[in-house]
Amino acid sequence: MKKDLQKRASRVSLLVATPPAVLMLIFFFAPIVVIAIFSFQTGENFVIGEPWTTGNYDSALTLGVNRTMAWNSIVTGFLTAGVTVGLGLPIAHWLRFSAGRWATPVLSLVVASMFAGYLVRIYAWRTILGRNGVLNSALESANVIDEPLEFLIFNRTSVIIAELHLALPFAIVILYAAMRPIRPDLLEAADDLGAGPIVQWTKVVLPLMAAPMASAWMFVFIISSSDFVTPQFLGGPRGQLLGTQINRYFREAGAYGKGGALAIVMILFYALLYVGIQLILRKLKLNRVEWG
Amino acid sequence: MEQQRPNRLTGFITLCALVFLFAPLVVVVLFSFHSTNALTPPFEGFSLRWYDEVLSDRTIREALLTSLKIASLTSLATLLCGTAAAYGITRTQARVRGLYASLFVIPIAMPALILGVALRSFYVDRGISLSTTTVVIAHTVFVIPLFYVVAQTALGRIEVAQLEAAADLGAPPWYRFRRVILPEVLPVLLAGAAMAFVISFDEFIVTFFVIGNDSTLPMVIFSRLRRVIDPSINAISSLLLFLNLTIWLIALLYSLRVQRRRRLDQLAQKEDVL
Repeated sequence: MKKDLQKRASRVSLLVATPPAVLMLIFFFAPIVVIAIFSFQTGENFVIGEPWTTGNYDSALTLGVNRTMAWNSIVTGFLTAGVTVGLGLPIAHWLRFSAGRWATPVLSLVVASMFAGYLVRIYAWRTILGRNGVLNSALESANVIDEPLEFLIFNRTSVIIAELHLALPFAIVILYAAMRPIRPDLLEAADDLGAGPIVQWTKVVLPLMAAPMASAWMFVFIISSSDFVTPQFLGGPRGQLLGTQINRYFREAGAYGKGGALAIVMILFYALLYVGIQLILRKLKLNRVEWG
Repeated sequence: MEQQRPNRLTGFITLCALVFLFAPLVVVVLFSFHSTNALTPPFEGFSLRWYDEVLSDRTIREALLTSLKIASLTSLATLLCGTAAAYGITRTQARVRGLYASLFVIPIAMPALILGVALRSFYVDRGISLSTTTVVIAHTVFVIPLFYVVAQTALGRIEVAQLEAAADLGAPPWYRFRRVILPEVLPVLLAGAAMAFVISFDEFIVTFFVIGNDSTLPMVIFSRLRRVIDPSINAISSLLLFLNLTIWLIALLYSLRVQRRRRLDQLAQKEDVL
């Protein structure tokens, strides 16, 4: 009797989850399949069709401009994700172990900063770093410089600064959530055993935080390396990323085949990177570290 | 009370990060009140003229309405579909459970750019003309995975014993959902819906690829960013910031109230027992 009931409940539940699952299949997964198909077809100017070809992948992987921008994306993503996690970790540590009653207000401020719009941030950095921006005019009025500094904007660094600004609150929240279960006793025990701050970080905190750090790193890498709007306003000719090129293919040239191939290459790269990171974590036995 | 471990270095890093996060926003809000059209110091005088200009601009008002409409529909669709998905998947024991769950978890890792170009290709391929509807669908599939994770965590905390007791007493599934599960998770679900609203309201990249002739507020900001440079953008930005923060505050206050009421209920129950 009871088993029957459970079986029925299980079936009803599956039925309830089916419409949203179909929605995701049609409007999320089918579209990915469509670009995968487009990536093997020929076409320009918003028309796509047969003959079938692998030429799009040739151009995706060998065209100079694609390679430059792919390299830019990887470097920008690596640096942004590294700096973001590198800053987020000590901040999460402070919030967890040192902040006391300041933890809630500071965390609320961090969360509140997420509410600044995506375009608003880009705009804010443009007014700060621009040729006639806040930084240059402040330095000029303080007589530190005579001419505006040109290297502040329109390069890789200005893109990374804006991406860091976008990603840091997310990284802090992810890392803080992961640090919450670590009890202060653990660090006290390390104190008692005579471990200094460096040993505590390398032997206690980092092993426990390796897996969440990897997730946060991957998350930041994906959002920063796939961005095309920030580079458009802050990147200048040398700071453009692969997204710029994908956008150009899809919206301006209407070359769905070439754009599709680049998009698929991008997805595969992220998937490989993810698998690679998981393998490294497993090899180092850091994928599942238990705390007492 | 847990012992605190004062740490000057990490405290200093946190302070610097807060300055880094807020300084740009302060600059934007400050110069939205500027009386001239300069965006940088010196600050020459206080004025509301840019707010006046922005609020009386027809394109902006229309875009604001479109954005509100899209965000409301997205939030509603996410609430319904996301709840159904999270509820169904946590309760079922079917073998396809893992497969179902992956439909909602994998998309979290997909960048907005990829979803945007993929959906655009899909719409083109199927001959679906781009409109606000295509945007709502796009935003919904973009936000559901996040909503799913939040809702699933909350639903997973419900004790099975409670549900079994209700079932033993003859409560049908819908009744169990409404009277046992819903009261428990409603605050989380509504917070998720608020999150969906805020994300949709601010979403640019996906929208950029799947919108037709209409314009959302981020689309207007984008085209202004390319054409004009004056504090009107600061004014729009500040308005958006205030709106988002208001929604967030309402959600926060609501969840605090629910938590307090629940604590009081538990207290009252204990007294009843005594």
